Amino acid sequence: MGAVLLALIAGLPMGWALWAAASQVFDASAWQALWTDPQTLRAWCMTLWTGLASTVLVWWTVARSLASGFIRQQLARWLSHLPAWLATPHAALAIGLVLWLSPSGWALRLASPGLTGFDAPPPWPTTQDPWGLGLILALWLKEVPFLLWVAATQLQREDLRRRWQAEFALAQTLGRTPGQAFAQVVWPQLVPRLRWPLLAVLAYGLTVVDMALIIGPASPPTLAVLAWQWLGDADVAMLAQGAAAAGALTASVAIGAGVTVVVWRAWSGLRTFASRGSLPQRSPRQFAGESSHRQKIPNWLLHPCGRLPLQPKGHSSQHGHSAAGLSRSRMSGLALAIGGAYLAVWFALAVGSVSGVWPFPQVWPSLWTLDAWSQVLGSVSTVGTTLGLAAASASVCLVWSVAWLELAPRRWQQALRPWCLLPLVLPSVLWVVGLYSVALQWRLEGQWLGLLLAHAVMVLPYVLLALEPAYLAVDPRQSAVVASLGQGRWTDLLRIKWPLLKRAIASAWAVGFAVSVAQYLPTLYVGAGRFATVTTEAVALASGAQRSLMSAYAALQMLLPVLAFALAAYLGRPRQFEKIGPMKANP
Amino acid sequence: MNAGLQIDIERLGTVAQTLVQDLHLNVPAGEILTLMGPSGCGKSSVLAAIAGTLASVSEGLLPLQFEGRVQLNGRDLTALPTHLRGVGFVFQDALLFAHMTVAENLLFAVPRSLPPAQRQARVQQALQEAELLGLGDRDPSTLSGGQRARVALMRALLAEPQALLLDEPFSKLDTTLRAQLRPWVFAHVRERRIPVVLVTHDQQDVADPQRVVHLRTT
Repeated sequence: MGAVLLALIAGLPMGWALWAAASQVFDASAWQALWTDPQTLRAWCMTLWTGLASTVLVWWTVARSLASGFIRQQLARWLSHLPAWLATPHAALAIGLVLWLSPSGWALRLASPGLTGFDAPPPWPTTQDPWGLGLILALWLKEVPFLLWVAATQLQREDLRRRWQAEFALAQTLGRTPGQAFAQVVWPQLVPRLRWPLLAVLAYGLTVVDMALIIGPASPPTLAVLAWQWLGDADVAMLAQGAAAAGALTASVAIGAGVTVVVWRAWSGLRTFASRGSLPQRSPRQFAGESSHRQKIPNWLLHPCGRLPLQPKGHSSQHGHSAAGLSRSRMSGLALAIGGAYLAVWFALAVGSVSGVWPFPQVWPSLWTLDAWSQVLGSVSTVGTTLGLAAASASVCLVWSVAWLELAPRRWQQALRPWCLLPLVLPSVLWVVGLYSVALQWRLEGQWLGLLLAHAVMVLPYVLLALEPAYLAVDPRQSAVVASLGQGRWTDLLRIKWPLLKRAIASAWAVGFAVSVAQYLPTLYVGAGRFATVTTEAVALASGAQRSLMSAYAALQMLLPVLAFALAAYLGRPRQFEKIGPMKANP
Repeated sequence: MNAGLQIDIERLGTVAQTLVQDLHLNVPAGEILTLMGPSGCGKSSVLAAIAGTLASVSEGLLPLQFEGRVQLNGRDLTALPTHLRGVGFVFQDALLFAHMTVAENLLFAVPRSLPPAQRQARVQQALQEAELLGLGDRDPSTLSGGQRARVALMRALLAEPQALLLDEPFSKLDTTLRAQLRPWVFAHVRERRIPVVLVTHDQQDVADPQRVVHLRTT
């Protein structure tokens, strides 16, 4: 009963928005106009190139990182860095990269005039390069932490972790190297759980607008940026063309997903046929309810790790230590590159936000000032709107998710899961078209409540994704014990279950907060331009020349989620028990 | 009016498979009935049917259906939710609440109708009976397996159950520890004068050779 109500609460606005979007997308004359527009085809090719290239890079990086992290049991240590990376909003990351890569950016300043001989910024297209390389780099940096995080929520689940570690050890007793054991036993079980998140990465890469506005190519831009520009047009025909472009983007995501699946199957079929290293019939027992489809990872993906010797004791692989040493340094190089890039971005934002006069080849500003910060913090309504929206949408989505996970039968949760994740995999330009129609019809357009609705739709899947693994890991016998002690359901929830889940609950809220802060399209479009958040300000300033103000907004955009994560870590901290001395073996 | 635990199972199983059929058990107060059988025969499901926790057994599979009746001291429990049945349950894992100290775990079970001082006194007494005096402020994860098992039993008894179910309570312990723990557990539950059902697959665990029921896989 409650579950039906919850499904309706979430399903009604989402279904309505999708319906509204679909009814606008199918307009023959708009498609005609889209097709004949001279920019369309080149923009679409740029979209495919940046989206597919970044997705392949992300997948490769994540596969290698997880393999090496799992084998060397360093996942937990790495994961401690993830929240900071995740909390960095797309726009802030892109702006930070621009501060480095632009012709007047730090990279060239460090090399000028000594190495380059420049005493003025060269007219190089390094920020919005026509090849989309900057956009691919930004997408790669942003999406690797996301996919790692989703994988980590699975790998850190107590039940899965134990099982996989046991199976991993077992495979080694059957004569596999740690790399092979991971590739053949753990990874194939992890991959099916990463399918949706990977689709989200692909969809994001193909349809991102805010990042592409800042660091993507300009002429032509990607199709998503074009669609966004058309959607902002006052001309009804252009508006319809924008909606059609949103439809084309949706189709691109579907095609991209289809092609990925086909290529993957063909490739892994080939590898299975050709390889001798797989575990025939020895794969661990399939668990009930899990997909029976097992995918083989191509060996080249994990190759270097496949040659790591076993955990130092005892074994050594026939390839010797030089190969191992090489792969180790290569692996940590990858992690270092990402970590280093984030540090560089934060540093650039911090310095940029307090810079005053800063003539070109100088490495440091000649004048430092807090003007930008006082202006940013003085814009009380902007900061207030950002905080209010983020806190409200994260809280609404958290309450909904907890209620859903408590009340809905497991079968429903599985059946409706793909629907909950739709906001992750459909282009945000499509969503804003639909959400704007809903806001219009419900008379919420340009209202705070309409904005909250739009944000909540985008935030919900992340909160649910963050919370679900912890919920699934709860031992059902725990509630049986509580009930058998004569305590009712509310006592169980309030005193046992939720307190034990408080860490997951707090971090799910922070994730929702961060996602809301980073929203750009829904804020502008559904808010009808009446509401400014730190994100819309930062993106708007990115094309201008006010470096310090842009940096300050971007820095604040990044700081707010960090504060939310810090708050979540504090609220979710595990209880500190009284310290005890060495235990006596007292049975 | 019938004192003790009366279990009448017409059928227990999923839509696809019957686990237990036509099983009728009567456990008088103060007696321990041992249910034995190979794994998968439905021993634990019988306990879940008695406690009303079938939902926690069927996780991920088809839901378990129970046709039959459970009576405790003449009271029909069949339609009651678990927390109103007065049936205690101890699993093979102690399942101590990780965010509470040992003493708080015990206190959680003491009926809240009692005055606070008396509730604390019961916790102290339970700690003493479990030979854990002085360890009340400990994080439960720092206890040994035997200590945890004793806390789990004391916690179940503090809730003053009118019947107690033990689901392979010794299976996670080594042989020596089992031999020490068994008489301690049996003495404590007999003292309460309540009907007890013990599930095990180890012949050594049998509490009362007069009261053993063997289940077969169907």
